[in-house]
Amino acid sequence: MSATLAAATCALLGTTAMTPVDAQEEPKWDFNTSLLYYGEDENRVQDLSLKSIIRRLFADDRTLTLGLTVDSLTGATPSGAIRQDVPQSFTRPSGSGSYIVPAGELPLDDTFKDTRLAITAGWQQPTGEKGLLSAGFSASKEYDYLHTGVNASYAHDFNNRNTTVSAGFAFAKDSIESVGGAPIPLTSMLDVGDISNRVGDQDKDVLDVVFGVSQVISKNLLVQGNYSFSQADGYLNNPYKVLSLVDGVTGDTLPRIPGNEGGPSGVFLFESRPDERTQHSLYTQAKYYMNGKVLDASYRYMTDDWEIDSHTLDVRYRWPIGGSSYIEPHVRYYTQTEAEFYRLSLDDSAPLPQFASSDYRLGNFDAITAGLKYGWKTRNENDMSIRVEWYTQSGTVPAGQLIGNQASRDNYPDLNALIVQFSYRFLR
Amino acid sequence: MGSPCEVLTDGGDKQLAGRVSLLVAEEAWRIEDKFSRYLDGNIIHRINTSQGDPVEVDAETGHLLDFAATLFDISAGGFDITSGVLRAAWVFDGTDNIPAQADIDNILGRVGWQHVTWADLRLTMQPGMEVDLGGIGKEYAVDRCMAMARSATNVPAMINFGGDLAVTGPPVTREAWKVGIEGPGVDAAGKRVALRQGALATSGDARRFLLHDGVRYSHILDPRTGWSVPDAPSSITVAADTCTQAGMMSTLAMLRGTEAEQFLAAQALLHWCRR
Repeated sequence: MSATLAAATCALLGTTAMTPVDAQEEPKWDFNTSLLYYGEDENRVQDLSLKSIIRRLFADDRTLTLGLTVDSLTGATPSGAIRQDVPQSFTRPSGSGSYIVPAGELPLDDTFKDTRLAITAGWQQPTGEKGLLSAGFSASKEYDYLHTGVNASYAHDFNNRNTTVSAGFAFAKDSIESVGGAPIPLTSMLDVGDISNRVGDQDKDVLDVVFGVSQVISKNLLVQGNYSFSQADGYLNNPYKVLSLVDGVTGDTLPRIPGNEGGPSGVFLFESRPDERTQHSLYTQAKYYMNGKVLDASYRYMTDDWEIDSHTLDVRYRWPIGGSSYIEPHVRYYTQTEAEFYRLSLDDSAPLPQFASSDYRLGNFDAITAGLKYGWKTRNENDMSIRVEWYTQSGTVPAGQLIGNQASRDNYPDLNALIVQFSYRFLR
Repeated sequence: MGSPCEVLTDGGDKQLAGRVSLLVAEEAWRIEDKFSRYLDGNIIHRINTSQGDPVEVDAETGHLLDFAATLFDISAGGFDITSGVLRAAWVFDGTDNIPAQADIDNILGRVGWQHVTWADLRLTMQPGMEVDLGGIGKEYAVDRCMAMARSATNVPAMINFGGDLAVTGPPVTREAWKVGIEGPGVDAAGKRVALRQGALATSGDARRFLLHDGVRYSHILDPRTGWSVPDAPSSITVAADTCTQAGMMSTLAMLRGTEAEQFLAAQALLHWCRR
């Protein structure tokens, strides 16, 4: 019947051939689930993260997006104290026990174990012909941390939809419920059971504002750029990080006699960061399409009033293999300068600075991420992908900060991590 | 065309959009003037007032009548351009006012393409019979206008005559033309089609029906019985290469009543059937 009708239609319209119809019903549901493993070597942080994003499309391009993430974190993380030629003991963050670090080893706090639950909800809808309004909510809970946030943005198309200008903000109110209470900055780690320098819950507010432009340059090239501003106020310390107080000549940690119940074998002071941080960042990205292949390159420059400057270069190249799979190599290079108050240790012979932290993430370091993603379409048109990446970070402590024996030790050990992610997406 | 008609162009300037719209509007008016059964003096009026005399028709009318004849054949008489006179008995106003069998029988004597002599651009009908190209006209107009828009510009365009629509090609500023499929009830406006090439047409009107003794009589009439097709879907939307094919497939499916879905599934065309 179709063939007879087609022939009759050709005769009616006076044509000999018709272009075949190309139509699909748009799916209403989009389910995207991924399982991510992140593992640092030498038994440092391990994270197993399950993430699910569900998007529902409503009439008139309105969408509701719900996200759920569950993280299971375990492993050890540097406490901030320096290596010593003798074994060292530390009080656990809870104040209810102690642990010993063998001579010559980097002090790691192995009590790091947490489960994080995060939810996000977002609503997006067109406003008028050219506008797109988005609003969202986010919350996450860890044992010692509660985050709640709201966000909104507006994007407007100009110039035959070749130019999109957007502005948005996000505001977060977080509360830090440190295990054992937040320590008073620059006070000493105390013996087991002594919580006299601990105070209650702390909080911080973070405001992010972003302005962006994206521009279609040609059929094959899309570029975008944005400026973002971030202002954090409140408790910005890591309540578990300490600095070793060292002899001004030898550079060794000042010894201390632990109490009967156990306690620190040296003088370790809890870190102290400013209660304010202002960041500015500029981001540019270009996506170039060439015969099915897509080159996606981006660069970010970030600077803040803690005097950390960072540069990130990210390049990925998506290469189709046959009609239903692709391979995507990815390389990311990151470099940052240390924060103005970054200190490997604190010199007992000099007055204490107002702010100090030995957190390696505030130090001077470079990092490279390199990996490969392979994605394919399943028989029932669902998307699957697997991504394997290696992360390596190496940092240096400024030579001027090294005191006495410190110069012969590895003060900023390299960090290596493996990232494996499996994703599955289906539409209904 | 009895409905809002629009032309959308994707890209190009105001001047181009105006030029294409004018071309399309002129063609739509031309087809309406020529084939509307409501206007005096046109070819349809001449046929319907021929009182049994043969009427010579032009080539375009001939193509439409050939097409109608083919549809009559492939639908085994279900699609019949002479069935319009049944409207004298059926008024679909939502009431329970169904006609008497005697009234229907009376009219049925003047229905049936098999009673028409049609050859060599010459049509002869028995007195009292009428033809109505309303079941083909709008879809035909969309396809004609689409061809005109395509020859006038490379800028992609969509021609939409009251929901029967066709596109000249995929848009440039987005991945596809997005068309919402409206239907009655809760499911309304939930479905959306990404159209890059081809056409969509919808048959059926959820508001036009009669209700009698709990039975819903749709406005789809079967010319072979003179009665409303039992259990016809409230509307059917079909995607096809051309608007004419989409429209005819949805009409033919309507005539199948209960078996509409089965019929559509066998045609291997993307479709939406609502009951």
